[in-house]
Amino acid sequence: MLVFAASDKGGTGRSVTSANLAYQRALTGDHVAYVDFDFGSPTAAAVFDVPGAMRGTAEHGLHSYLEGETAEPARIDVWRQTEHPLLRARPNQSGRLVLFPGDAGGGEFATGEEALERCIDLLLKLNGEFDVTVVDLSAGRSYAVDMVLAATAHPRMRNVPFRWLVFHRWTRQHVIAASGLVHAEHGIIGGGVDRGHDEDTLRAAVRFVRAAVPDPESPLWSQGSPAQAAWMQACDEALRRLAAEHRIGDSVVLGVVPLEPILQWREQLITEEDVLSTQIANKETLEALEEIARRLTDDTHWGRP
Amino acid sequence: MSDAVFRETAAEPRTQSVPLAHLSLELGHLYMEDFEAGPGRLRRHFEEVRPWAEAARAAAVARAGGRRARISTCFLVDDYFTRFATPAEVVPMLLAEAERAGLTVDYLARESGCAVTGKTPVAEAVAGRIVESPVPGSHGGRPPTARTGWLANGERAPVARAPQAMKRAAPWQPPRETAARRHSVFLDTELWNDDADGHRTWSCPFLAAVWQLARLGLLRDAGEAVLVPQQHTGTGFPDDWDDLPSLVRLNPRADPFSAYRTCSIVPNRFLPVEHAVRVVLDQIEVDPGALAQVAERSGKERTAVPDSVADRVSYVFYAGP
Amino acid sequence: MAPRQSTPPAVLACGEIRTCLLPARQALDIRSAAQLLGLRADERVLLSERPGLYARSPDTLTGVDCPLPSANGARIRAVGTVTAHAALTEGRVLQTSAHCRLPAAGPDQRRPWGEYLVRPGVVEPLGRLPRDAVAEGVLGGGRHGDLDVGLVADGLLTRLLRHPLLDQRPPFRSRPTRLRWVALPAEPGEGPSLERFTLAEDELRTVRLRIPEDTDGAGLAALCDDLALHDWLLTTVVRMLDGIRLGASGAEDTGAVVRALRPAVDHLLHLWMPGARVTRELAPLWDPLEERPGFTRQWQALVQRIRDQLTLHAIPAPHREVEPAP
Repeated sequence: MLVFAASDKGGTGRSVTSANLAYQRALTGDHVAYVDFDFGSPTAAAVFDVPGAMRGTAEHGLHSYLEGETAEPARIDVWRQTEHPLLRARPNQSGRLVLFPGDAGGGEFATGEEALERCIDLLLKLNGEFDVTVVDLSAGRSYAVDMVLAATAHPRMRNVPFRWLVFHRWTRQHVIAASGLVHAEHGIIGGGVDRGHDEDTLRAAVRFVRAAVPDPESPLWSQGSPAQAAWMQACDEALRRLAAEHRIGDSVVLGVVPLEPILQWREQLITEEDVLSTQIANKETLEALEEIARRLTDDTHWGRP
Repeated sequence: MSDAVFRETAAEPRTQSVPLAHLSLELGHLYMEDFEAGPGRLRRHFEEVRPWAEAARAAAVARAGGRRARISTCFLVDDYFTRFATPAEVVPMLLAEAERAGLTVDYLARESGCAVTGKTPVAEAVAGRIVESPVPGSHGGRPPTARTGWLANGERAPVARAPQAMKRAAPWQPPRETAARRHSVFLDTELWNDDADGHRTWSCPFLAAVWQLARLGLLRDAGEAVLVPQQHTGTGFPDDWDDLPSLVRLNPRADPFSAYRTCSIVPNRFLPVEHAVRVVLDQIEVDPGALAQVAERSGKERTAVPDSVADRVSYVFYAGP
Repeated sequence: MAPRQSTPPAVLACGEIRTCLLPARQALDIRSAAQLLGLRADERVLLSERPGLYARSPDTLTGVDCPLPSANGARIRAVGTVTAHAALTEGRVLQTSAHCRLPAAGPDQRRPWGEYLVRPGVVEPLGRLPRDAVAEGVLGGGRHGDLDVGLVADGLLTRLLRHPLLDQRPPFRSRPTRLRWVALPAEPGEGPSLERFTLAEDELRTVRLRIPEDTDGAGLAALCDDLALHDWLLTTVVRMLDGIRLGASGAEDTGAVVRALRPAVDHLLHLWMPGARVTRELAPLWDPLEERPGFTRQWQALVQRIRDQLTLHAIPAPHREVEPAP
């Protein structure tokens, strides 16, 4: 299963959330690959707390691979090479978690025919090796989005299942932008159809993740005034209506990630330890991530809404 | 696994051997424009060729250490790029003009036989044996500049490619001949092109390279010899080129068609083509079995044959039409 | 330049093999295997049906001109060709294998390319070859830009994996392995020997051999292909068993165990035939591996475990629930 993580705007927590999903899947025993196709800002190594030297030596990263400079992209075994003290003790019965980093200092680039073929080679190889492959894509209508749309429409990939997660924050602008990324003329679905995808199939494979959503019920806001609570309720309602109007309503939402300081500031994996011992992360956040991770392969949450 | 009792024929390679002369001497090519220029053109051609042919024979005898040198002559007619006249018209005239100049054509070949002979896709097979000369720095990854359908004698000038965002595009650099001595003579030759229907036309230099390999006895198809001469029987020649075998033996007492070395006597307008032929030949890995047979046979005859296939080929270019 | 009639004897041979599961739902029959491996229009694919289906492509060459990897940092430039072929075992396990031989010394300058092409599979140093340092360098992996025969094997694998015959539906998840090998000359009068077989990283194995000078290059490559194939089989089945949660109960877990182990029965268990395609001369090199750790011993234990697990899970769950009391 390939999972493409996309967002229209930056700051949606796409990278950190999708990395957490990869981590959660690995904890359940799946072999998971995390592929950093955020070409303009290849920083996934930081999320997994892979040492700086590691990042510096990643000259054989995905940029070099796709441009044909290196035959095999560098891979980082997260359990073994992370500096995160809790991740180093690979949990029993967990699957492999392997990061495919971009080049240190790599930038956005125009992808050609040869890069596309190499992208397909890579995705097929990962599909044969990993249960779940999470591909983090540059924000917006990027070359990365374009390339994987073309790749998944290629005859060689006809038997490889894939799903799209579109991340957006819970604001008016983000809702409209996320809808545009998927539904506008040259969006994921329109662009995908241009490249040979079947419209209904592609539509059925796209779900949304609302990120950094303040939960009015959360203890975080319980100190606020009643007026504030009422206002938050009303805003939430209005946003739900807006989302539905823009065809990204509740029926196509795979999950909601609460506003969580540890995700916003530290941009790292949330471990059980963070919730239970040090209590710097909220239980709800961890549960939300676990649930979204589970739903990735739960067919009842996919298909035509 | 030659030491085993149990054998499977499909699991064992073998290579058919072909008879070999010392020298294959090519007396010329015939293209449509030569034919259209009338018999006078052929007559002048053979008159020019004759002294050089004698010199080439003398050189071959000298190289054989005074022993009898086996020398066969051949002539190539283009029926691939343009179809003109018929064998019944062309061949008798050709033979008459050669004879008038005191020359004998032992073997006659059709150029289209270098593309496909019978059902054997000869040119395609040879194209599959191209091993590009590595430019310094080639360490096993695919050469980044490989261009389908072209072959160069060095490194092409890099193509300007859109760089990654905020990186600078590389400035222009000249192409470079890999074996250059101080300065480059860079050559990039087209091997084939495909038309809109996907039909492939092989280039003249590429077919000429195939022709040289045939004359050197180095062509095989699944171990079997290809372009084997057929004895011409009967008196006349057919009215359709397709009815003429790809390679015909006209002289029943001729020495073998293939040889340790070749020499071609051609007007100097062929110079660029033959330069390209050399570039191609220098990058073809010929059948190792065939190569070994030549090495073994020449060793027994104590006849020196250059290692490099391209060096087994020689030319005389005369100033001519 | 004077022609050099004979190839100088090699004092070092090295190679690398990629082994992976063929990404196709059905194993290829011998006809399709010949189609997949028909790398050249004018050369046959070698097909063999005893003791199992096996297909081997013609050799292909790749030109190289680059420094050799070396343990002491010497940058010796070398020029020549690397030989590569692909093989398919039982239509199921795909291997690409690249290798070359190196003489003790070569001319000081690069010669015309055609002279290298008549010695396929030979890479000549410019000057003297620091043999032992290069052997160590090959096994340890060179710097970027050094000769890397693994890249040649990888390039061929990539090319084959793009073949339209493959539906890209592997029957189970698995990982490719790489086996890198070097062969140094044996002491005069000594037979061939396997000095070291190392599981280096997750996917990398290194092998160090000693061989008599007249050892056939193709036979040597065949031995290493055979080692790589069987090591991949062991690695793959071990990982398959690692992935299941033993002692679990319930119908769902039975399903999971059977789902996880069945591909081994369907696709792998009948492939174990060490030495079947190795020349008599080199066959004894399997002996030390069989003695310790005992490749076949481990394989048989794994096979037995798989069969036991499948038998156990054929028993209805209530009867299986006799967990020993602590």
